[in-house]
Amino acid sequence: MTLRQKMLLMLALTVMGVVAAVGWTGSVRVGHVFEDMDRQQTDLLVGQFQHEFNQRASDTAAAVDRMAASDTLRRIAFDLNNGGDSAPYLTVAVPLAEEYRLDYLELIAHDGSIISSLQWTARFGYKEPAITAAGKPAFLKQEDLPDGSSQVGLFAVRTVAGSDPPLYVAGGRQLDAGFLRDFSVPAGTQIFIYKNVSGPFDAHNFAGPLQGPDSGEHYQALVDDARSNARNAEGVVYPTSHSEDSMSVTAIPLKGMEGDVLAVLVVANSRRSMVEVQRHIRDIAYGIAGLGIIFAVLASLWIAARISRPIEELARAAGRVAEGDWETRVDIRTMDEVGALARSFNNMTRQLAEQRERLVQTERVAAWRELARRLAHELKNPLTPLQITVENMVRAKKLPKKQFDEVFKESTATLEAEIENLKTIVGRFSDFSKLPKPQALEMDAREAVRRVVKLYGPALEEKHIELGTAISAEPLPILGDSELLHRALSNLVLNAMDAMPEGGTLTVSAVRAREMVRISVADTGAGLTPEECERLFTPYYTTKQHGTGLGLAIVQSVIADHNGTIAVENVEGGGARFVIGLPFAESVEA
Amino acid sequence: MGRRFVISAVLACAALSAAARTRPHYGGTLRIETQGDPWQMPDGIARRLVLDTLTTVGDSGGAQPALAVRWESQNAEHRWEFWIRSSVHFQDGEALTADAVAAALTDACSHPAAACPWSAVHGVGPSVVFTSDSPVPDLPELLAQTLFGIGRQDASGAVVGTGPFRVTGFVNGALTLVANDDCWAGRPFADAVEVRTRRTIRDQWLDLSVGKTDIVEVPPELLRQAQQQHLNVLVSRPVDLLALTMSPNGAFASREMREAVALAVDRTALYNVIFQKQGEVTASLLPEGLSGYAFLFPSDRDLDRARALRGGANPSLVMLGADDTGATMQLAAARLALNLHEAGFNVQVTQAGSRQPPALVLRRVHLEAASPRPALDEMLARFGQNGTVNGTDAAALWQAERGVLDNEVTVPLLWLPRAWAAGERVRDLRLSVDGEPLLADASLEGAK
Repeated sequence: MTLRQKMLLMLALTVMGVVAAVGWTGSVRVGHVFEDMDRQQTDLLVGQFQHEFNQRASDTAAAVDRMAASDTLRRIAFDLNNGGDSAPYLTVAVPLAEEYRLDYLELIAHDGSIISSLQWTARFGYKEPAITAAGKPAFLKQEDLPDGSSQVGLFAVRTVAGSDPPLYVAGGRQLDAGFLRDFSVPAGTQIFIYKNVSGPFDAHNFAGPLQGPDSGEHYQALVDDARSNARNAEGVVYPTSHSEDSMSVTAIPLKGMEGDVLAVLVVANSRRSMVEVQRHIRDIAYGIAGLGIIFAVLASLWIAARISRPIEELARAAGRVAEGDWETRVDIRTMDEVGALARSFNNMTRQLAEQRERLVQTERVAAWRELARRLAHELKNPLTPLQITVENMVRAKKLPKKQFDEVFKESTATLEAEIENLKTIVGRFSDFSKLPKPQALEMDAREAVRRVVKLYGPALEEKHIELGTAISAEPLPILGDSELLHRALSNLVLNAMDAMPEGGTLTVSAVRAREMVRISVADTGAGLTPEECERLFTPYYTTKQHGTGLGLAIVQSVIADHNGTIAVENVEGGGARFVIGLPFAESVEA
Repeated sequence: MGRRFVISAVLACAALSAAARTRPHYGGTLRIETQGDPWQMPDGIARRLVLDTLTTVGDSGGAQPALAVRWESQNAEHRWEFWIRSSVHFQDGEALTADAVAAALTDACSHPAAACPWSAVHGVGPSVVFTSDSPVPDLPELLAQTLFGIGRQDASGAVVGTGPFRVTGFVNGALTLVANDDCWAGRPFADAVEVRTRRTIRDQWLDLSVGKTDIVEVPPELLRQAQQQHLNVLVSRPVDLLALTMSPNGAFASREMREAVALAVDRTALYNVIFQKQGEVTASLLPEGLSGYAFLFPSDRDLDRARALRGGANPSLVMLGADDTGATMQLAAARLALNLHEAGFNVQVTQAGSRQPPALVLRRVHLEAASPRPALDEMLARFGQNGTVNGTDAAALWQAERGVLDNEVTVPLLWLPRAWAAGERVRDLRLSVDGEPLLADASLEGAK
């Protein structure tokens, strides 16, 4: 990933992160605000419910009080207390309830047996325990009905005035949908009552001002929590898969005299407004984030023009320097750190070029000195016999002709031999200077190795040198000049043979190493000193008594002309190893 | 002299006037209101006015001549011959013949409520002959049932009979009948009878109080209230049996479960409260006054034994229905459901119109017969029970009835009377032995 891409990514992530953080914070804050509003609204409704509940309780108690004091009930009580039959009063609860607008009404004898029941006429004679609440404030009570269901109502129990033994009247009003219709419920808020709390949850037990909640089963967890723990339960209900349909729900248990939960009041506030605001904020955040990304791209382009482009130019310049272009320079456009860096780079390349020039000159001088020394050394050896021979010939001129002829003949032979020697020496130097360029053809490196091994096999046996080979079974294609490579490998084998005058082991290998063909020639001779390792490929440097110092230089030149490398290393346990690396020719392999 | 004449004349006028008040008057329209259909089978009130039967039941309970003037059994009561009254005509003028009677009886046997014991009936000259595979000792009493009224369809398709009134129309919920001047039993006093149908008891009583009707129904549970309101109430002997019947399969396949139900019901509460102490508590298919042995069938509640018989298994839901959608019957059914719930049954009262036939049915069955053996036969037929009475004495009847009731499919609860209230202008109104008003005998005060 380039610097520019990194900067682009970093800027984009930074902008998006900031936008996301702001959006999230805003959304959460809005959520909290709405939750507070929900809570306040629920508290308001609960307070309203409590007020209405108390009012309804007072009304119910007042109605029952009036009934208990009515002439009708006093007459009935008088009749019963004077031995009258209760049977004729079986259905008296019906008109009384209608008169006093009660949903539930029972006349109960002093022993608790029902005389007349509006809600379940057939229950006459059965006991009604609610008479223990006679005279107490109105209370919630669950009333079983003939159809097997049960309803919750506000009840008051009173003793009929003047009755002795007492005749009780228990009247109540239903806590149902009609009760809820009296509530002023704000838009988006719904209110329900869950009845029949004793059995397992059933969505049909909901009653609302108009109807029960849609998908009432989603309220089960909260209703169950409220009725089992007898405390308020709050949560969010998702009636559909759309979050805007979700409701903030508070389930409030409604308890009877004994503290048992008889019904659950459910207040549900729509979260649609909150969800839409949150969605709006999120949409804005997405928009800002998108704009931020565009801004980040543009900004990165601009910043790249100011920061990354000079750095990229520096990088490219450094690459060119690495490739050997020592004259590379970069433009200095700014006076900031990047400008200082470019200036330093230019100084560095300039100094490197100067140092290289000095080094080249130094090496050139050293090479010339070495060449001169070598030439002097090489030429000095034949020149001395030439000088002595010429001097002998001058002295022999005084000898008799026969002797002179013999001396002359010997001297001319010597001169010819030495002159020939001089020509040979000059020829070698001439050959080194005229080393031909390789004619690269597709070839198998194994063939070059096998050819050398085959050529020098007999000689190795003669010198008691054992030969070891490790040649790849797979082809090792390279682009090379087979003759030059043969000459180079021959040189290495001959050097190895020279290194093992007492015999030893010569190991030749040719294998593939990644994208290179690796050829090594190792001996078990005395090995090399570090200085020798360092200078071995320098022309005219030799460790032999009669070497010209050009052999390994020629080898290095050949390998370099093949875009290859050559290195020498000491082998652990003695000896030296020359390792040649040549590029693997992919096209040949294909 | 003149003074004596004047005084004598005044006294004679007064005597004539008094005699005129006690003697029935012809004329007028007798108005009666009912809750049910007056033409319903088997005992609609209008059917009794239009259709006569071969015999009637006298006050003693025995069969009396009606369209048949005499009868006799042959071949050990396997064959009966009834001689038809001569010179009797249907209300369309057609003469009553033995063949017409046979055809009408054959048609009546197609009704589900009919349990005709004969295998064949046909006219032979002036008599109708019944033959059967088994002896039918009480055929004369059986033929007195309203179900076996003799009638036929006239040219217009209307049903005509030989009774004291004939149907003239049905307008605005009122069935109108006019007197049959040529009735073999004599012309009725009223010129016409108007039967207003589908009237609630409350409306009937209201109409009676304002003079818009002459005769209204008084359900047993309101009998005491009617008397408290000083209505002119006529009450029959117990003629309606309230009984709980069980389907002898499903939840009540075992006799123990049926017996548990029989022991769980609280007849006293039904009698004392719901039916306001009218009629009598019973566990018998016949009223005590008719059989004399009804007290032998225990009617007390034994809740502990009921619970023991039911066992501790989880009860399955059992539906209890009433064959009458009236409030009182529904209330009685609800009470029985409570009783059974106490015994451990899970019973729920079905609502009207429920498709599923309930396993428990509270029925109100009417008894027309007025003598023990025909009455038992009639009740067995009404409840679809098979029983054989070997003998005519009470012991044989008790034995037969016990044999039927021992399977606990039918649990008798209460015998209830029928009652009617008549307005001030109605005179000489009597009830038949099965509690229906004899309108042909009634006259109206102030009629010409």
